[in-house]
Amino acid sequence: MNFKHTLVIFRKELMEVLRDKRTIFTTFILPIILYPLIIVGFNSVMMRQTKVLEERGATIAVQDSVDNEISHRLIQGLVRIKNYTFLPYNESTKQHYAEKDIQCIVTIRDSLGSEGTQFFKIYITYDKSKDQSRIVYEKLSKQLSKVEKELQQERLQISGLSPDFLNLVDIRERDTSSAQKKMGMFLGMFLPYIVIMMLFAGASIVAADLVAGEKERKTLETLLVSSVGRTEIVMGKYLTIITLAMLNMIVNLFSISFSLQFMLANQSKEMSGVTLPINAMLILLIAMIPLATLFAALLVSISTFSRNIKEARSYEQPLLMIAMLMGMVSFIPTIEISNLLAIVPVVNIALLFKAVLINEYTLSHILITIISTLVLDLIAILITVKLFKTESVLFRTEEESGGIKVLKKKPKYALTPYNGIVYFTIALILLYYLGGYWQTKDLYNGLIQTELIIIALPVFIVLKLLKLKPKEILRFKTPKPAGLILVPFIAISASIIVSIMSQLINTIFPYPEKYTEALTQLFNMNEAPWKVFLAIALLPGICEELLFRGFLIRFFEKYGLQWAVIISAILFAAFHLDPFRFVPVLLLGFLLGYLALRSGSVYTSMLSHIINNGLAFILVTYSNSSWVKFLVSEGDNIHYWLFIPALVVFVISLYAFHKVTAQGEEVCVE
Amino acid sequence: MIKVDNLSKVFIKKDGTNFYAVNKINFEAGDGEIVCLLGVNGAGKTTTMRVLSTIFQPSEGSAEIQGWDIRKHPDKVRENIGFLSGDTGLYNRLSCREFITYFGHLYSIEDQLIEQRIKVMADLLDMNEFLDKKIEFLSSGMKQKVSIVRSIIHDPPVMIFDEPTAGLDILTARNIVSFIRDCKQRGKCVLFSTHIMREAERLADRIVMIHKGKILADGTLEELRNISSQIDLDDIFVYYINQHTDEQELRANEF
Repeated sequence: MNFKHTLVIFRKELMEVLRDKRTIFTTFILPIILYPLIIVGFNSVMMRQTKVLEERGATIAVQDSVDNEISHRLIQGLVRIKNYTFLPYNESTKQHYAEKDIQCIVTIRDSLGSEGTQFFKIYITYDKSKDQSRIVYEKLSKQLSKVEKELQQERLQISGLSPDFLNLVDIRERDTSSAQKKMGMFLGMFLPYIVIMMLFAGASIVAADLVAGEKERKTLETLLVSSVGRTEIVMGKYLTIITLAMLNMIVNLFSISFSLQFMLANQSKEMSGVTLPINAMLILLIAMIPLATLFAALLVSISTFSRNIKEARSYEQPLLMIAMLMGMVSFIPTIEISNLLAIVPVVNIALLFKAVLINEYTLSHILITIISTLVLDLIAILITVKLFKTESVLFRTEEESGGIKVLKKKPKYALTPYNGIVYFTIALILLYYLGGYWQTKDLYNGLIQTELIIIALPVFIVLKLLKLKPKEILRFKTPKPAGLILVPFIAISASIIVSIMSQLINTIFPYPEKYTEALTQLFNMNEAPWKVFLAIALLPGICEELLFRGFLIRFFEKYGLQWAVIISAILFAAFHLDPFRFVPVLLLGFLLGYLALRSGSVYTSMLSHIINNGLAFILVTYSNSSWVKFLVSEGDNIHYWLFIPALVVFVISLYAFHKVTAQGEEVCVE
Repeated sequence: MIKVDNLSKVFIKKDGTNFYAVNKINFEAGDGEIVCLLGVNGAGKTTTMRVLSTIFQPSEGSAEIQGWDIRKHPDKVRENIGFLSGDTGLYNRLSCREFITYFGHLYSIEDQLIEQRIKVMADLLDMNEFLDKKIEFLSSGMKQKVSIVRSIIHDPPVMIFDEPTAGLDILTARNIVSFIRDCKQRGKCVLFSTHIMREAERLADRIVMIHKGKILADGTLEELRNISSQIDLDDIFVYYINQHTDEQELRANEF
């Protein structure tokens, strides 16, 4: 690679970008103006409004059912509140209250305590959903407490006791956190999210334009025939995006944090003059660079794949959504960065950001975050260079998305990735709403209905409509006996491996209790064991394999069989609508996809799926038998030592399966 | 010097079948010679030129530019060719000088030499007035002149023009035509593609007719006239296409 050429491209791209007034405006000028305006302006308006509400008068009706000296004293206390008008309660009060002429009704009643002493019950009727009404309530109750205190003091004096007689406990707080740390905590809540979004926004300002834009304006050809290599072109564009993303992020970061500091200083004296330490800011900026490079690499690949800017922009959206969801982790109060979380892209930066702001981070977290992001970045940029060198991608012309029009013309070509995603989305919506409805009505029958009517039946209807042969498309083919015999070994060992992995995940992110309860409920349906087996092992094994390894996998085969397996597994995992089981189900999806494609028969993956689900069923249902106890420890966990033998069995049986299925199969993975 | 040897380019169609955009073609173009690749739209002209200029990888066969193999030394090939097409885009936010200098840098030419070449070409093409203007403010004729200078800034021995006059007005097209002649005079090897018979007639030393990815004829206008016993290039073209179709039918009947 000629780095000089990369620099030439980088310089020229940057010059072009910086000459675009819109880019300059959105990247630099807007954030500088916007945040002070939003944060400081909003805050001062809010404070003013609160003040206005505080000072605003109110009309309160008072019903005194006791009418003695003390109740009079209470009412006198209330009347002292500034700007408030007090009216006696009468027949029209309720109507006035309904018409909002009266904001509050105070009712004083009395009652006898256990020792025969009189005490007062005061009811304050108000509308809690109204800001003003709430303020009135707070003022009234505060004032009443004050009067109560006075009355208590008087009583104590009459009894000849000191006014301090009742002061038994005095609670005082001693806060060890510094003002700086408090500010860090406050900023750490949402600053990471905003900064990650800004990094993405800055990157996407130019990304679509850089390759897809060159295609659209027909300048790409001239660049490709010049004596600069394709890797150098990609790197030049990539550097441009990184630079813009970082610039945008830095401008935003400083503008937001200054505005917020200003706002906080205005709100409390403690915060005035407090600033974030410069070294924290520097650490954050350095940690953000790998993320910027990762975003840049992903966005260049999108731009390379897209035929025009519009298309690139629409492909950027899903990526933005994923980044947004992952960045939102900073809003969750209890999650803190750990060595494991430091591997997860975006999430690691968000959490690291939070940790650095409150000054509780370790060097290892920073290093793991940076290195893991850089590794992903490296993979992404290698893929991008590969894409850029692939003619069919760089010069993609035909509309390949599919859609209804293609369906009508050529049903044979209906199995496009686009249509696959559409089909999956519809199935997912049906599962969520219809399946969810059925299962809340009756769990057992709901499960069976879901599998048969939502998952399996539509596959056959669609194939019928498209006039495609189910036997051929869904791979209804008798597998080789030798391969089939190996499936139980593969399935059981894989099941154990995956279960142990999810147990490990569970120790790091414990499942919520409710979730575990819901899972147990699934196994403890009041049905005969064979019926439970039918609903949670047999039917899911058959129906879900029909949908995922039979039907949906076909939509993605044009990307190559490996990708078909990977994409169908991702969809399979997403279909379970369960973030806690996403990774385990994904791994099973890889295995099931491999089994089906390698053997050319969906029956192999069905068998494996049934065994996997059946194993879970057996372990729970027969948890008291001695051989299950041998496998499972207290608390329903599989013994960790089983991992090693399971892994050995898995590797051997999978290898054997691979060998056995090798001959005479028209399709094979790898 | 261009040498095309059994060159094919295969695209995979949506239904998985192969499509030969260029099918085992052979031709040569020498220094100081203008060779025209003549064919209707979709004949395989652009694909051929894209393979020769290393934008596409050849599927079968190969080609040499100035002795450099397009498969083995794509970088050397790119150094030796200038590429220009009728619908080439430019970077609107750069000035003409910046645009040309940018490409000069991509060819690793010294600043001084770039300046010198810009000056010569600007005088020749009458560009001094708008040399420092932003490209977005230029007329299409001015833009085409900028593209010309861009294509020749590294003084390549081989020039490839893909439908260079397509979509241009008459005056701009004339600039291109005279530029092509100028290239020949400087001893460059010129390959240009067109579907306009008149252009081929007026410019080309030799005409290579291409149809459905195959070469139908290769020769000077005189040679083609003699073989086909037609005078007008239009008629000669139709003659060869008919002959090709006949041959195909004959072959189809044999099986």
